[in-house]
Order: sequence, then C-alpha cells, then structure tokens
Amino acid sequence: MQPFTYMRPTTAPDAVSAFASAGADARYIAGGTTLYDLMKLNIEQPRHLIDITAIAGLDKIETDGDRLRFEALAPMSAVATNDVIIRDYPVLAEALSKAASQQLRNMARVGGNLLQRTRCMYFRNGADGVYPCNKREPGSGCAALRGLDRGQAVFGTSDACTAVSPGDFPVALVAMDAQLEILGPAGSRTLPIGDLYRLPADTPHLEFTLAPGEMITAIVVPKTAAGRGSTYHKIRDRESYAFALASAAVALEMDGDQVSRAHIALGGVATKPWRAPEAELKLAGQRLTPEVALDAGRAAFSGASPGKYNGFKVELGARTVADALLIAAERSRS
Amino acid sequence: MSTAPFPDRARIDAFDKVRGATEYAADIQFPGLLHAMTVTARIAKGTMTELSTDAAMRVPGVVRVLTPDDFPPPPPTGGEDGPPPPPPTLEKRIAYRGQPVAVVVAETLEAAIAGAEAVRPNFADEQFSCRIDSAGAESESTEDWTAGDAAEAMAGAATAIEATYESPTQHHNPIELLATTAVWADGRLTIHECSQGVNVTKGSVAGALHLDPALIDVKSAYIGGGFGQKGLAQRQTALVAHAAMLTGRPVKLVLPRGQIFHVATYRPNSRHRIQLGADATGKMVAARYHAEHEQSRTGFFSPAEYHESPIRMYGIENYLGTAANIRIDRQAPGYMRAPHPQASCFAFESAVDELAYKLDRDPVAFRIENDTKVDPKTGHPLSSRLLNECLTEGARRFGWSRRSAAPGSMTASDGTQIGWGVAAGCYPSMMPPAIATLRIGANGSTRFATSGHEMGQGIRTAIAAVLLEGLDINADKLDIVIGDTTAAPQHMTAGSWGTAGAVPVAAKAVERMRAAVSELLAGRTVAGNLHRQLATVRRPYIEIEVSQVGAGQNDDALAQLREGGFVVAGPEYPEFTTMSYIAHFVEVHIELHTRRIRMPRVVSIADCGRVISPRTAASQVRGGVVWAFSAALREATEIDRRYGGYLNNDLADYVVAVNADIGEIEVGFVDQPDPLANSMGLKGLGEVAMVGASPAIANAIFHATGKRMRELPIRIEHLL
Ligand SMILES: Cc1cc2nc3c(=O)[nH]c(=O)nc-3n(C[C@H](O)[C@H](O)[C@H](O)COP(=O)(O)OP(=O)(O)OC[C@H]3O[C@@H](n4cnc5c(N)ncnc54)[C@H](O)[C@@H]3O)c2cc1C
Ligand code: SF4
Repeated sequence: MQPFTYMRPTTAPDAVSAFASAGADARYIAGGTTLYDLMKLNIEQPRHLIDITAIAGLDKIETDGDRLRFEALAPMSAVATNDVIIRDYPVLAEALSKAASQQLRNMARVGGNLLQRTRCMYFRNGADGVYPCNKREPGSGCAALRGLDRGQAVFGTSDACTAVSPGDFPVALVAMDAQLEILGPAGSRTLPIGDLYRLPADTPHLEFTLAPGEMITAIVVPKTAAGRGSTYHKIRDRESYAFALASAAVALEMDGDQVSRAHIALGGVATKPWRAPEAELKLAGQRLTPEVALDAGRAAFSGASPGKYNGFKVELGARTVADALLIAAERSRS
Repeated sequence: MSTAPFPDRARIDAFDKVRGATEYAADIQFPGLLHAMTVTARIAKGTMTELSTDAAMRVPGVVRVLTPDDFPPPPPTGGEDGPPPPPPTLEKRIAYRGQPVAVVVAETLEAAIAGAEAVRPNFADEQFSCRIDSAGAESESTEDWTAGDAAEAMAGAATAIEATYESPTQHHNPIELLATTAVWADGRLTIHECSQGVNVTKGSVAGALHLDPALIDVKSAYIGGGFGQKGLAQRQTALVAHAAMLTGRPVKLVLPRGQIFHVATYRPNSRHRIQLGADATGKMVAARYHAEHEQSRTGFFSPAEYHESPIRMYGIENYLGTAANIRIDRQAPGYMRAPHPQASCFAFESAVDELAYKLDRDPVAFRIENDTKVDPKTGHPLSSRLLNECLTEGARRFGWSRRSAAPGSMTASDGTQIGWGVAAGCYPSMMPPAIATLRIGANGSTRFATSGHEMGQGIRTAIAAVLLEGLDINADKLDIVIGDTTAAPQHMTAGSWGTAGAVPVAAKAVERMRAAVSELLAGRTVAGNLHRQLATVRRPYIEIEVSQVGAGQNDDALAQLREGGFVVAGPEYPEFTTMSYIAHFVEVHIELHTRRIRMPRVVSIADCGRVISPRTAASQVRGGVVWAFSAALREATEIDRRYGGYLNNDLADYVVAVNADIGEIEVGFVDQPDPLANSMGLKGLGEVAMVGASPAIANAIFHATGKRMRELPIRIEHLL
C-alpha cells in the first residue's frame, strides 16, 4: 500500500472539483468495502482519496411519484430494508439483502455498489506479479483463460478477459431499466444503467463509462406494475455471504395467467449485468407453465460460451431463470 | 471413581470472551513494540539470487530487514523418532511459492508492510510440481497396516465392492491469525504465540537459533482456534524471536491470512482406493485399501495413519492397508481436525454404505452386525466400544425406522429430494503424562497449573468441573494456568488428548488436597469453605504437586515431559486398545431444479467414555458436524498447476460453511466410563466428533438421488 492524501468535502460540487484538481490518481470513496480491500491487495493504488460520505443529504430514498430514487450514499442495508421496496419491488430488496454480509451492507453505499470490481481469483491475487491479468496489467495476458475458470463468465467474454461482473444489485437495476444521475466536471447528465458497463473486448482494464471525476449521485428506477411480481433468485456456493454462481432478476407484468411483459437479467454469468431479451420475447403472451419457464431459461442461455470448468453455469443459469419466473409469477398473483 | 454424570456447567471463560476481555497472543501489549512483516517468494521452486534491502530501509520507520544471512545454519536433524526438526528459518533455497525470504521490522505495522513491499528479490526459478498428479511428483511408499490375510480372504468373499474416493486440499482457517510476539530481556527470550504446543515451540526456537532451551519461555494462554494448525512451531516463530534479539525490542508479527495459506500446514489432497468383501452371511471379511496424499519434498505427516481408524471400525479380520506420499513442491501438510479419518473414514464409510446397498442390507443394521470387541490390528481387547449403542440410540432419535430404503424414494411435495444417511467414526483415545500443582489460599484464591492448551474446546471448563466438584472453593477466584512453560511442564495438546491429560491429574490433585487438608486439621471440625478453614487455622495457603502417567507409562514419561518431549500413550496400550466412537444420522434435501444441497437436521451420538463437561462436549460435537458439512460440501483450496500457490486465499473466496447453512444438530452421549483408559473413565472427543459426518452426508445424498459422490467437495454442478 502506498501513502495517499485524504479529504472529506461536504458538498457534491466540492467533491467533483477536489477530484478535478487532484488528477488521475484520485478516487472517490464511499463505504470503502471494495476500494480499501483492493488497496490492501495493491490492485488499486490511488494517491488521493476523496471521501464522499460527509456530503450532507445525498442518502435519501424516495418512493413517491412515478419513480424510485436512491441517492448514492444510501447504505445498501437501508434500501434493502425499506418497506415500500420490500413490498413493491422485491427484486431490488433481495438483490441487496442477498449480497455480502450485514456488516458490509451497513457500510457499503448503493453508489459504490455499482462500481465494485471482479472477484476473478487471478485478478485479486496477482499484485506481486505472479498471475498475468490484462485487467490489472494491460497486455500481460489472462491467467484465467486456460486456468481454473469455474467462477468465470459465459457471456460477454473475450480472448483478453472472462471475468464476471460480480454485483447483484446492478443486475436487478438493469432488469428494471434504471437510470443514473451523474455529476461531473462538465456538469450533470443521466445514463441508462446498462450503459455504465463496458464489455472487456481487448481493453478489460476499462470497466465503466464514467469520465474521470464523474460521480454517481443517484439511481432512478421507473415505477412499473411488474415490480410486485418480481424476484432476485441467487444460487451460490453457500446460503449467505457468497457471490452468485448464477442469478436471475425477474419481473413480470401478467395479464391473468399470461405474461404481458417480462424483465429478465442475469448475474454471476456475464462480464457485465446481462439483460436477456431473447427470453423476454419468448415469454410475451405465453401462459407461464414450468415448461415455458424452462424454455425461456434455455433461451436466455442460448448464446453462452463456457470454458473448461464453468459449463454447468449454462444449465444452472437456465434453471435459475426458470425458478425465478415461477416465483415472480406466484408473487404477481398475490 | 465416582461415575455419576457431571452436571451442566457454563464455560468458565465465556463471560470474558463475549466481553472481549480475553487476551489472545496478538492482544498483549508491550512498550516499545516493533512490528514485523514477511517478504515472500514469488517462484514455486528455485533459488533467491539477489535480495536488495536498500529501498526497504529508506521507508520511514523501517528499523531492520532480516535476510537469510542473519540466521545460523539449520541444526543437524535428529533421528527418526525424535521431535520433528524445527521449521527452517530464512533460506535462499525456495521450496514453495509464498515461502518467507526476508522479514522487515518497523516502528509501525504500516511501515513494516510498506517496507516488505519495497523488497524485490530476484530468483532463478526451476521446474516444479505442485499437484498430486503433476509431472515430477514422486511416489514413496510407507509402512503397511495389516491384519490377517486380506488377499486370500478377498478371493473368497461372496460379495465385494471397489471404488476410489478423493478429498481435496483444505486449509484450517481458524479465525485467529498466526500471531507471535517475542521479547528479549535480561538474557531471556519470552515468546507469546497462539500455540497448541508451547513446549514444542520452545524446543524448535532453541534448535533453530542455537539457543539453550532453558533461556526460553513460551506462553499461549488462549488460542482463537487451533485445529492442529498451531501444534508445531510456525515458520515465523524463530524469525520473530531472532528479530527481537537483534533489535533488543519486543517484535510482533501477525501473519496475513493470504500468507498463512502459503506457509501453514493444511489437509492434503488424498486418494483412497478401497476394496471391501463380505462373506455369504453378510459379514465383512476383507478390506484392501490404498491411500496416498500430496506431500512436501521433506514432510513427515504420514499417509499410513489413514488406516488407524478404518482398521478398527469393524470386526474385519483381514485388512491390508498400503499408503504412499506423493512428494511435490509445496509446503508440508499436517494435522487438521480429525486429521486422517476425515478423509479415510469418508472413503471407508462410503464404501461400507456401498457394500450394504449391494447386499441389500440396512446400513445401520449392517454396521451393528459387523461389530467387534477386539482390535483387529493387535488382537487385544478394546477397553470399551459402545458404537452399537451410538447407532441404536441415534437411529431411535432420528426416526430411522421410518426410512424408505430405495434411493430416490423420498420426496417432498415440491419435488425436493430427501435423503437419510448414516455413517460412523472412530478415533484413537490417547493420553499424555501430566504434572500439576494446586494451591489454595486463605485469601480465597485457588491456582491450578498443569499442562494443556485452551483453543476454545473448553479444557479450562473441564478442569474446573473436577476441581469444583471435589473441593469447596471459590469458583470466581479459580485461576487455571495452562499453556505456559513457566507454570508447569507442558505437552502438546492435540489428537483429542487434552482432557485425558489434564482431568485425571486434576482429580488426583483434588484427592491429594483433601488428604492434605484433613492432615492439617487433624480431626478438628472447622467451619466454612477451604479458604475459611485455612484462615481459621492461620495457614496462608496449602500447595500440593501431583503427577499422572498413561497406562503403560512410568517415570521415564515424566522425565520426557519435563524435557518438553512428545510422550503420548495409546491408543495401543500394553494390554488393550482404546478408541472413541460416534454415529451420525443426516437428513439432506436437494432442490429439484437448482440442486442446492441442504442439511436440515443431524443426530450425532458419541461414545467418549465419561463426559466431564457436558456443555463444551456437546459444543465439540456440533462444531465437528459443522466442519464435516463444510468439508463435504464447501471447502477446497484452489491451486493452479501452472503457478503453484493458493488462489482462493481469503475467507471470502475459501468458502466455509456459514450459519445459514446449518440446520438442527442434536447431540447425545452414551456417557459410560471406560474401565481401563484412565482413572476418570474418559476418552477423547474433539476429533471423533467430526469423523464420519462427511460420509453420512454423502450417503444421504446417495439415498436422495441414487448418485454416489466419491469426491469432495460435493457441489451443485455434480448433481445437475
Ligand atoms: C467479502 C465481500 C463479499 C461481498 N459479497 C457481495 C455479494 O455477494 N454481492 C454483491 O453484489 N456485492 C458483494 N460485495 C461487494 C459490496 O457490495 C461492495 O463492496 C459495496 O457495495 C461497495 O460499496 P462501497 O460504498 O463500500 O464502495 P467503495 O469501496 O467506497 O467504492 C467502490 C468504488 O466505487 C467508487 N465510488 C464509490 N462511490 C461512488 C460514487 N458515488 N460515484 C462514483 N464513484 C464512486 C470508488 O471510487 C471505488 O472505485 C462483497 C464485498 C465483500 C468485501
Ligand atoms: S479473466 Fe480478466 S480479470 Fe481474470 S485474469 Fe483474465 S484478464 Fe484478469
């Protein structure tokens, strides 16, 4: 770990200008649960930390009107336990409450959550130069490609990187067509959440589309009737405190027994939060039986390209989507 | 000996522990303390060609960098039977990735870390083998374990099965990290380390640094989980001690978990090929079993001992156990809870289940009918064996009679597959000698000092149970001093022999103390507890010393104990063999589609002789079952054969069971004293608690699905 400066601005514009004057080696820090971890592993080596948690009034959770709005500094645990979210948008509450541990969720903020980095073991282990990793050290190669790839992605991979995008909440937000409010040196803008994430292609070290100094200030989710008929179904190696092997964020608008509109996104299997339009299309107008659900799951994974040890994610993922659809349909009826 | 059951008693240190008042090795503060951090080898095998410390010395706060040049050459190794040689200190020869090559000592932890990162050694690397099946791995056979004539009996068997089972590399991961603080003052070296064997640590450091052991004291009052990882001196111990001597200041090192994965011992990846044969009546008559495991180039953790439990599980008169080390370029594996039988009884008890199914027999009845009263290996009687009582009582509590025998025949309404499985375990019951002093003061205090280590298993609570049962003393001013070479001669605490070492000697101390008090009172009746009585007769204190040896041991054992030696009696005592037993009954549920495996309930019944501390005993069994679950369904250390080293080296990625994974665990004890093992009739428990629970889970999965899982860990992908 190397020495760094640390400051705690109290307004968002102050934070943005502090970042601009600090330069490229600066990082915002919120809960610190990702950033400090990676700093201790020497993977992140910022020279300036701009702690944004002292910014007043940037942690509101708004559920009135025609949208949900979570400000960036709202703790994961606060959004996960919000009564309206639990009742009307279980997919969002579950994506948060099934992530990490209670202690981490208390510290971590929903803004920082969107920017966590991969758990690829070779990425996390290589700061001493043993394992080549293009994400950590562009051009060094990818140890995971012919390595222990049980946890790696089956969608969106490239010859340079197969690392999974690990977050759960972003998957749910992608399914629900969320928008981000962003404040930067050049002013503010909004961005569909799906456009925040890049595919690795041949530049896996570039993960997000934020410009230097841009800060996420809020997450906005349009309200939809599909919210109540929703779930985040997460299959992992243990019952809590583990990242997904495969997960599905599903929300259904039903017309009686028939699906009128399905939202489906996949986690744990792709290099970015992965929307599954093939499966959504397949379901439209269908009566949701277990067979139809499994067909949709299989459709979602039709384009998968697994490696050596992660082939099971294709079948597991399809079944996870199928189970999620049945849970969501059940909820939409109650 | 009274044989009345001991009453339930809370842990005597529970209140301090939940308040955070208990001091572990890393908590003890010293003025002028320096912090150390190790620099590790980036190659898996070869030689360090250059080590520049200039950049590290320029880091503000760095005081000194220790390199291989600072250490004396390794001591000559002793004979085959002596204590294991001390771990090497710093060397230029690299035997495995992650080996320490330098130690940076600094005023702050941050400076030590920054200094360690600034040391960039150069290496000449060599071809290496880091997995059991890597090219360059060398197989080396060890001694056989035999009974009767297995080849002939197998040839005559009416029914036989043959299968191979595998258990992965797994790491202990106690919550407490490896912590050492060394203080060099007034010509004495005092080491505070989380150690299950302060005597071993003392001898090892003396050997490594060429010091007189009489100058060294080692203290380990509380350990935050040991599980065998802390039985021997650590690679870091002599490094920290030497740093303290060179700098003249106390030095502390708390090794980061990622480094612990690379230097501490671990459960080696092992393979078990088993042939089991039964005669026409369904009696098991022959077993042929070959075990092999990954091993370092120089390690000594013996694969032959995989046979120690299986050969005594049943009355199989013909047994041929062969074994081999597969030597590769990794650090040495070692003892990890239920060290050999976790893997070998997984294999053996799975094989027994397979044979029971092949014979169309109920797996509980099949085990009961294959009972034995003699040790097939020695022909001697077993001093006590109540495995059938464990099986019968477990079956009753579990409701085994309601089991539908056919695999895949029990399902819940939502399609969840239900499986009921059983397996048993046994483990040697051993006993080290002990010397104890007991001092009761008129001021209300009592001090009992003996050999032993408290790693959370509850040894102090067991000792207190005996002292408080036999003596009218203040419970709240009872000081039990263990894990301290200055308090009493110490023996390593491992292998479930802690209670057998400490409790009979405590009982003897009670007897001797009562005699001493009645001699003092000489027939007078004096009111009040012992403290009051002493005060009344104006005696400031009474102190007595007692010693105790295991069956077949004599004063030589006490002399060896005083020398810090390894002197465990059993399980083969001169005229009998003593084993502890357990039976586990497990229910698993397997989800219809996504195949998650859950374990809603377990019933475990143990025969550990007389139960001294019911609460901590039950806790040991629950802990054993939890870890067996974790070992069966969760844990595996990932090694990429191209690089060596361990990839998932933190608690986020090395997946251990969590609370949410664990269902109801019902624990019961036969609680019958063993007539021969020792004066208290107790047998070991901590190890046997875990033995057999992993195969019970695998057997339950077979019952649920019809799929025989022969390789651990069993994960979702294996059942999809
Ligand atoms: C052991 C462990 C297990 C975990 N398990 C899970 C899991 O199962 N599922 C899951 O989804 N997550 C999991 N997580 C990840 C956890 O959810 C994230 O670490 C957390 O959400 C990050 O939030 P934070 O506020 O702590 O971010 P920080 O660490 O403070 O920041 C993360 C990154 O975001 C940047 N940043 C922070 N806030 C902003 C902002 N407003 N605008 C722009 N940039 C910003 C920082 O510069 C940094 O690069 C786990 C983490 C750990 C350590
Ligand atoms: S998959 Fe990506 S993150 Fe992992 S080693 Fe390869 S390049 Fe690095």
